[in-house]
Amino acid sequence: MSASTVATAMSTSRRWRTATLRAGAVVVFVTVWWAVAAAEIWPPVFVPSPQSVWQQFLDTSGLRDTARPGWAGYTLGEHLWASLRRMALGCAYGISGGLLLGLLIGLLPAADAVLGPAVTFLRTLPPLAYLSLLVIWFGIDESPKVWLLLLAALPPVAVATADAVRGVPADYLHAARSLGTGRAQLPWRVLLPAAAPEILTGVRLAVGVAYTTVVAAETINGVPGIGGMIRDAQRYNQTDVVVLGIILIGLSGLAFDGLLQLAQRRLTPWRGRV
Amino acid sequence: MTHLVDRRRLLLGALGLAAAPALAACTGDPDPSPGTGGAPAQLRIGYQLIPNGDLIVKDLGWLEAALPGTTVVWSKFDSGGDVNTAILAGSLDIGLAGSSPVARGLAAPLNIPYAVPWIFDVIGDNESLVVKPGIADLAGLAGKKVATPFSSTSHYSLLAALAGAGVPESSVKIIDLEPPEIQAAWQRGDIDGAYVWTPVLAELRKTGKVLITSRELAGKGKLTADLAVVRTAFLQQHPQVIKTWIQQQDRAVKLVRSDKTAAAQAISRQLNLDADEAGAQLSELVLLDAAEQAGADYLGTPAAPGKLAENLHDAAGFLVAQGKLPAAPGLDAYRKGLAVQALADAGAA
Repeated sequence: MSASTVATAMSTSRRWRTATLRAGAVVVFVTVWWAVAAAEIWPPVFVPSPQSVWQQFLDTSGLRDTARPGWAGYTLGEHLWASLRRMALGCAYGISGGLLLGLLIGLLPAADAVLGPAVTFLRTLPPLAYLSLLVIWFGIDESPKVWLLLLAALPPVAVATADAVRGVPADYLHAARSLGTGRAQLPWRVLLPAAAPEILTGVRLAVGVAYTTVVAAETINGVPGIGGMIRDAQRYNQTDVVVLGIILIGLSGLAFDGLLQLAQRRLTPWRGRV
Repeated sequence: MTHLVDRRRLLLGALGLAAAPALAACTGDPDPSPGTGGAPAQLRIGYQLIPNGDLIVKDLGWLEAALPGTTVVWSKFDSGGDVNTAILAGSLDIGLAGSSPVARGLAAPLNIPYAVPWIFDVIGDNESLVVKPGIADLAGLAGKKVATPFSSTSHYSLLAALAGAGVPESSVKIIDLEPPEIQAAWQRGDIDGAYVWTPVLAELRKTGKVLITSRELAGKGKLTADLAVVRTAFLQQHPQVIKTWIQQQDRAVKLVRSDKTAAAQAISRQLNLDADEAGAQLSELVLLDAAEQAGADYLGTPAAPGKLAENLHDAAGFLVAQGKLPAAPGLDAYRKGLAVQALADAGAA
């Protein structure tokens, strides 16, 4: 057996172990949840059972025939799609804006003096504080929600990009210059690639922040949308739908983060090895 | 090694801290009233900022004076849904909730053990449908955007008004907005109309046109009201406290009729409004004294429960049609949900 096959076998068995551990944790969690709900220590409104959450999943997703499929006139898929669309738009604008701002802050001391504190100021604001302003400025349709997600996603990317660009060793730039790279090409050919691992970490953080903001974004005219669904169900004390919405947000967030980690490994395979 | 132990202890401490409020929220406060039939140590009331007799009783301290051995605890609530949750958790004895949340509370799956001993007010001109001046009637709303806070009495009234005019609900774009957002959306021109309550309603009326009011809908049998709910266990243990409570509410309604200025002043203090504005808001509500509430149209008498039970039953049917309630219980469940005996006892004294 060669050394590399041994390593592969070991990593496979380790992966199996991780997967088993995770699956076991989920099973334990659901069992405890089921037992607590079945004991009926608290009314079902406080602790809905896993079965009722599953029933709501079947009803709202339209997988089962009911008189009124979906929730508030939209199926679960439509709610999720609406939220993901807002997330994608908000993150796309926010990440692009954050990259530009971060480059400016990292490269130009004047921009750092002006924009640095502004980004920090924005980062500390709770989204609910300025949501009502966004509604007055941008109305009640899609734009205030996308703006809110943009404002949530922008600061982490801007901060990460600025720090990463500042941290690029001057030797890289000198080397590139002496090998004939033009001044205008430096940001794209040297700075961004060198800063990419940290920027991608900023992107992961940004998507996470946007995820936590989506329910806030959808408190105003948020149906269809997972956040709007959760809020509407909360009003009617339908806790099982609330739990269903929370689980969906969490799972889709996990899936997205997985994708981003994969992208990170593919785009910057040298990370941690230079 | 000591580091490890410290860390573990820290972690446990943190977990304990995190779990404590969650557990407290689940179990609610322990019931502070002893079951002896004597005066309870506490009377926990959930009130809302609605210009009716409850705020007068609170402002003038009548309950505190009438129940000397009991501490009255007033907690502010923003919606009937929250009052439902609080009573279910055993954290409130008496609360204020609209007819729509009460219809839900008395039905499965909530099945809250509470009853309605009093009608704070029948909603009148203080909730109305306001539209842009160009819209002539309800039929003209087809294809338009109309906002209302979902699950509220206004939401119910809007759909009842559309059904009454034969306008299909699906032909109107009905969107869920809270009153402050309704005002913003109206000013920006994002919506064509709204069914909402004062004070936002007053702002909308300045530039819009009132199509229908809840007072008119009540005349057509689609009554909405702000109701008192009392925990059944509390009512059984302390009937004399509820009797006193009803008598003070009755006194407030009579004060509104005999001395409107004094009543408006009390309400203005609670709502931080000037007395004229408070008086204007007060007259938009329909207040009923104990004798009127015992009439056939409202709570009724023990021998003949009133029509409020039918209103609640209708509201439950509406919720079922909206997919927000699995099934409406029978009319009987709502007749049992009216604490008519308590009202009769209070009137007899």
